[in-house]
Amino acid sequence: MTSFLKRWHKQAPKKIKINRPEFSKQEPVAAQKVEKPETLTQRVMKKALSGIGVKFGLVWVGILVIAAVFAPFLANSMPLVMSLHGQISFPVVHYLTLEDWVVLSAFGVMVLVWLLPIRHHIRVALVLLLTIPAIVGLLVHWKMPPKPLVIYDDFRQAPYTQADWRIMPPIPYAPKDYLRDYGDTGLEAPLAAQERTHLMGTEENGADVFSRMIHASRIALSIGIVATSISMVIGIIIGGLMGYFAGWVDMLGMRLLEIFEAIPTLFLLLTFVAFFGRSLYMMMIIIGVTSWSGYARYIRAEFLKLRKQDYVQAAVASGLPLSSILFRHMLPNGVAPLLVAASFGVASAILAEATLSFLGLGLVDEPSWGQMLDQAVKSSTFNWWMAVFPGGAIFMTVFAYNLIGESFRDAIDPKMSRRAGVSA
Amino acid sequence: MSLLDVRNLRTYINTHTGSVQAVDGVSFKINQGETLCLVGESGSGKSITALSILQLFPKGLVSHPTGEIWLQGSGLLPEVLHSPKADLAAKRLSYAKRAVSYYRDESESTPPEDSVNLLQLSEEQLEQVRGDQIAMIFQEPMTSLNPVFTIGDQIAEALSIHEPELTAAEQESRVLQVLDQVQLPNPRERIHAFPHQLSGGQRQRVMIAMALICKPRLLIADEPTTALDVTVQAEILKLMRKLQEETGMGMLFITHDFGVVAEMAHQVGVMQHGRLVELGAKDQVLNHPQHHYTKQLLAAVPDNLIKQKSVVVEFKRPALDGSIDLKKAANQPEPLIQVRELSVWFPVKKGLWRRTVDHIKAVDKVSLTVEAGKIVALVGESGCGKTTLGRAIIQLERPTAGQVLLESTDLTQLSQSQLRQWRPKMQIAFQDPQSSLNPRLLVETTLTEPMKVHGIGHDQEERIEKAAQILEQVQLKREYLWRYPHEFSGGQKQRIGLARALVLNPRFIVCDEITSALDVSVQAEILELLLEIRAQQNLTLLFITHNIGVVEYLSDETVVMYKGQIVEQGSTDQVCHRPEHPYTQKLLAAVPRLKFA
Repeated sequence: MTSFLKRWHKQAPKKIKINRPEFSKQEPVAAQKVEKPETLTQRVMKKALSGIGVKFGLVWVGILVIAAVFAPFLANSMPLVMSLHGQISFPVVHYLTLEDWVVLSAFGVMVLVWLLPIRHHIRVALVLLLTIPAIVGLLVHWKMPPKPLVIYDDFRQAPYTQADWRIMPPIPYAPKDYLRDYGDTGLEAPLAAQERTHLMGTEENGADVFSRMIHASRIALSIGIVATSISMVIGIIIGGLMGYFAGWVDMLGMRLLEIFEAIPTLFLLLTFVAFFGRSLYMMMIIIGVTSWSGYARYIRAEFLKLRKQDYVQAAVASGLPLSSILFRHMLPNGVAPLLVAASFGVASAILAEATLSFLGLGLVDEPSWGQMLDQAVKSSTFNWWMAVFPGGAIFMTVFAYNLIGESFRDAIDPKMSRRAGVSA
Repeated sequence: MSLLDVRNLRTYINTHTGSVQAVDGVSFKINQGETLCLVGESGSGKSITALSILQLFPKGLVSHPTGEIWLQGSGLLPEVLHSPKADLAAKRLSYAKRAVSYYRDESESTPPEDSVNLLQLSEEQLEQVRGDQIAMIFQEPMTSLNPVFTIGDQIAEALSIHEPELTAAEQESRVLQVLDQVQLPNPRERIHAFPHQLSGGQRQRVMIAMALICKPRLLIADEPTTALDVTVQAEILKLMRKLQEETGMGMLFITHDFGVVAEMAHQVGVMQHGRLVELGAKDQVLNHPQHHYTKQLLAAVPDNLIKQKSVVVEFKRPALDGSIDLKKAANQPEPLIQVRELSVWFPVKKGLWRRTVDHIKAVDKVSLTVEAGKIVALVGESGCGKTTLGRAIIQLERPTAGQVLLESTDLTQLSQSQLRQWRPKMQIAFQDPQSSLNPRLLVETTLTEPMKVHGIGHDQEERIEKAAQILEQVQLKREYLWRYPHEFSGGQKQRIGLARALVLNPRFIVCDEITSALDVSVQAEILELLLEIRAQQNLTLLFITHNIGVVEYLSDETVVMYKGQIVEQGSTDQVCHRPEHPYTQKLLAAVPRLKFA
């Protein structure tokens, strides 16, 4: 508080502030500047996060992550906790699926890694992030009894209604709960029905739109992240080898890359859907496998530049193995532009999925934003709430990722950072 | 009456963390026909002093709390001098002075007659002074010329601004005249040449011609020969002396090389941390330096190190039973590395099918023997293939033909994976301290990773201990293991680079111009360090350099390369004092040296 007041208190005639070098020292002035070590990563992060756009983007993505991870707890027909004849039970937990467990455990590990001081050991964090959800997934797969078919209407009958007390999720409708017990339900505008609250209305089968929106964010996020990860891994390996070896490896790699660039992702997806049916995982893999070319180009260009750097040559001269030279000495120095490209890649993967679903070739039973838009178009009358909310969500998500990507790109490029006003 | 009179000049560079005193109270005078050499290490403020004179700063970057720069006879018309703008500038300056005068004791001095204070001129007035009265030559001839204009256009541009009354024909004759003056061969054809068609030395001549076209009375030269080879440097220096005699211009010559100072200067000013610590006539400063910093600097010049060498080496070698070792070396010289008919050719590819039409013969059938425990210096000008040869010996560049025998194994026949076992025996240290260390890795990781790969040390702790010992050996602190490269100065980075080469207990290290990017005092420390390590570990060094002073100080044998071939090799004493090949003779004659009375 005092410091805040002091700031208002104007100081007496200001003397020119001088960083006077110490004359006794035999060091050049430039050497004395590096007192507070600030790594390049820290500086870029600080610059990138200082803009308004990126903050908005991160907040939106944060909301999406929370919604996606805790979707069953946020929007579900079954109570979170209830007490029946003095016995407390957790129906939601009972009905969690394998995917729910994996997603929740991955999120838990991420939070732990962030809170515990192990976050500096990226390798440990990555291993934890991959192994623990996998173990949890296997455990759930082997140990848990097979799930009974969920009939949502049951939750609105005894014994659930006779509970002593119960806590329902904020949105008490599951995405596939078509409210059949209410009779002939159908389209309802937001807040139109008196006996029930549907914040975003219902679609033509009677399911709550808000609930579907929340559950659909899982698909949007996971397809963006998984597809981009796949394409980044492929891009880094192929681009890295091209850049490091140059010569004929580079030549062959570039031709391969051009072949993949010539494949239109959307048509490939359409073909695969037609032949092999609809699967989220296949979509992820196809989008990942066809969109690595941009990453490979970035990494190749960086590695071509880095391979002549003295420290890389010194690593070669020390007889270090190729994997160490590529991934320890070169990759950390050349990965920055890739991360920028990745955030744009996430946005385009989300768009690709939305497009497919919109065309009616997406997932059948799981709600997704594109599929909801498709529903809006196909319904006999135009219902604004069915189009605006999923469309807005797609727009906002793609926009948020683009904002994040742009601010990181500007932070890396010193010329742009000044123009974009994100520098201090 | 002096041509330029700089009084108590202070230049502060404004950064967002405060201002840095780049130039701190510098005063000097330059007379007609006289050369003042400003010497100092990097960061001492010599270039900023020069830029202050011409006011070549972006707006708002610098401020001058005090200082006057009087240029005698500016050639500006009186009505130009007293424009409202100029008055405003003068007023602003006086305010600025008043603002700082309360904490600085400032005695107003009387301005010299018939002079203008360059600090008080407006931008328009300065434009008339720049190029016309005061001209400047920059360090890097490769980037100082605009690549899309012919050199004739670039030289004539200044003329068309300062003397617009000239006709095109007159302009061309002036350009030809000045090109003739700077002794550019075939000026009539070269006038239509583009910069890339000229060599480095020729470009620097063009730069000088650009500076001289308006017949300035003061020439500021900021390290004009630093980027050039010694033979070219010698020609340029000679040319500049000749031009000064002809035109009688004053010169402010900025350099870090005392050899150049000895050749060029009338007066010498030594700068340290923005201050002029010593100013005087050349002979006095070079032979009887008063300030201890000047003494240190002069003592660090390789020419002077030679005198101390015998003392240093004797002093630092007592632990080693030198007599036995020396005898052994003398009686049975054991060749560690034998290079036989080694060639490295780079293909030149042309046309649609990228067919190889020609080769650049970077190294062409070179044979060389390096004996164990010796320091062999590889000397030559830029582009002569000395770096390529060094890299080809340790197999960083796979040779086109020939053999490299290390302990009688032919390295050129080994595959990359077979080579990996041989890598620890031969290491390399690089020229550029900025790029020689991985910025993302701790010093500890940089040092211990190679040890781990080659199975030196049982566990990580043992390796860290060894790395710490080696850091101490290169005279750095143990704690530096836990720092990142950007926290070090250039000299420290070079030491870490050496430490990285030493961790694998190599037999042989290629030092590729490791001192070229360093200041003389740091260079002297690194050179001493090398001699010491050699004495302790019986290392063999191939020291690649273009600096003859360093060669004389450091090496036992010297090899001279010219255009990819070895023209002379032998003991350093013989090569440096009784050179046989004409190229070696030319090279040695071109080296600027400190001559003492």
